Amino acid sequence: MSADSAEQAIRVMVVDDHPMWRDAVERDLQQAGFDVVAVAATGTEALARFKAARPQVVVLDLQIPEPDGVGVTREALAHDPSARVLVLSASGEQADVLEAVKAGATGYLVKSASREELLDAVRRVARGDTVFTPGLAGLVLGEFRRLADPAAATDPMQPQLTERETEVLKMVAKGMSYKQIAERLVLSHRTVQNHVQNTLRKLQMHNRVELTRWAIEQGLDED
Amino acid sequence: MTLANAVVLNLYRADNFQRPVGGVVCVLVMVVWTAVAVWAYAAPRRRTVGLLVADLAVAVALLGVTPLVKGDGFNATVPGFWVAGALLAWAVRYRWVGGLLAAVVLAATDLLVREEVSQANYGNVFLIVIGGPIVGFMCGSLQEMAAERDRAERTAAAAAERARLARAVHDGVLQVLSLVQRRGAELGGEAAELGRLAGEQESRLRTLIRTQERTAERPGEVGGDAVLDLAAELGRLESRAAVTVAAPATPVELPADVVRELCAVVGACLDNVAVHVGPQAPAWVLLEAFADRVELSVRDEGPGIPAGRLEQAAAEGRLGVSESIRGRVADLGGTATLSTGSSGTEWEIVVPVVYGRH
Repeated sequence: MSADSAEQAIRVMVVDDHPMWRDAVERDLQQAGFDVVAVAATGTEALARFKAARPQVVVLDLQIPEPDGVGVTREALAHDPSARVLVLSASGEQADVLEAVKAGATGYLVKSASREELLDAVRRVARGDTVFTPGLAGLVLGEFRRLADPAAATDPMQPQLTERETEVLKMVAKGMSYKQIAERLVLSHRTVQNHVQNTLRKLQMHNRVELTRWAIEQGLDED
Repeated sequence: MTLANAVVLNLYRADNFQRPVGGVVCVLVMVVWTAVAVWAYAAPRRRTVGLLVADLAVAVALLGVTPLVKGDGFNATVPGFWVAGALLAWAVRYRWVGGLLAAVVLAATDLLVREEVSQANYGNVFLIVIGGPIVGFMCGSLQEMAAERDRAERTAAAAAERARLARAVHDGVLQVLSLVQRRGAELGGEAAELGRLAGEQESRLRTLIRTQERTAERPGEVGGDAVLDLAAELGRLESRAAVTVAAPATPVELPADVVRELCAVVGACLDNVAVHVGPQAPAWVLLEAFADRVELSVRDEGPGIPAGRLEQAAAEGRLGVSESIRGRVADLGGTATLSTGSSGTEWEIVVPVVYGRH
């Protein structure tokens, strides 16, 4: 931990409309040696300060005043694709979490997660890893199942998971750690991580394709 | 329009007038009164009883003076269809009663001033008497419908606002509970116990909100026996200590009895975990929905069930929990498979389904 703080303080922004929470998360991060470069209480504030402070990681509550967490994720990552978004949500609203992940968030934690879990998640997200909870894995799996439903599958661009990716994601959803999965499947920890990351990348890619197509259909590309 | 009609007709048949000056006066009265009425009716506060009575009185008076200006044995009254204006005003204002009253007054006047009543006269009068109440009735219905729609809109808006407030309040409560849980765990001792309790309540409340939101989205099905969302129902199990439920974001709607039975089966699996591994032992539930089936997994990280123990129990005539789980799933036409080892125990349940699509 001290090595982390001494060598490369990770630049973090905390976005939450509850001051108590914001302060608590900020304090935890600072004590652990992170550089909290900005805090924000609303979507508008978040976007303005994101551009000025250029954080590497945004710790983001989804339930914030307009624009909401999903909008902030989309805008912030459009502005700086190298930034990472870690969703920290108390509400556990499935649909919102899934939308935030589609918009590019690479991590999700519920707020009841412990201090250590949070710090670890911020570090991993900053490294470019994805932080999955079993709940998020279930949502992503469900989304791929939905897209693969024969009734809806008319789209040649349909993202599909490989068998291995499905297997890994399922194990994450069943609560297994990457380490346990690596042991079970006789893979390296890194490979498991890559498989999980790929599932998200496919979903985000599909989302971008969908958005672009929608924009073209609506004639938004002309102006 | 009725004014133009009346004016033109009277001009056209100007030679019918025995007293042309009187006729001109009548037409002028009509023009002026129409202008006054249009202005007066424009503002709701001017639509008084007085105005309506005056309107009707002018119409009646014009009908009444017809024999004087046109002479006895006239064919058409001076105002003609112009009287419809007053009639409609009464119908709109006092519904069918007003329409009927005004129609009867106008009809009676019309008939009284004539020397003889022709078939055509009778027809016109009859139309007025029929038309007045009908227009009045329609106005009444329309107003009631509008009032009802306003009420419905207000109710919906109030419900939405309540839901929004509830979300805001719940969100705040959740935040505080999570914070207490986190800080409590760090402080240790009694605070840790408080934190644990806060954590339990947080998870319960979160589950409740999620379930409610899913139900609120489909108000038509509430209380009905048709379908339930399996994902939401399983989500309730998260209120148990250390249970994590992973499910799709979209509802998984199945016949309500199937949903209840599946939840009961998963509940039994979790009870088993609590008994054999420990009440605080973590367990994970995964729901996956396919086009033709649902797959459920319940996993724990306990020591596993020693090989042969289930068989031994069965041989001793004790069916036990495992057999009960298998039996209930088989009743739904599905299969339940148990895999166990040193890294834990997992139930995999597959049930064919037909979705409650509408």
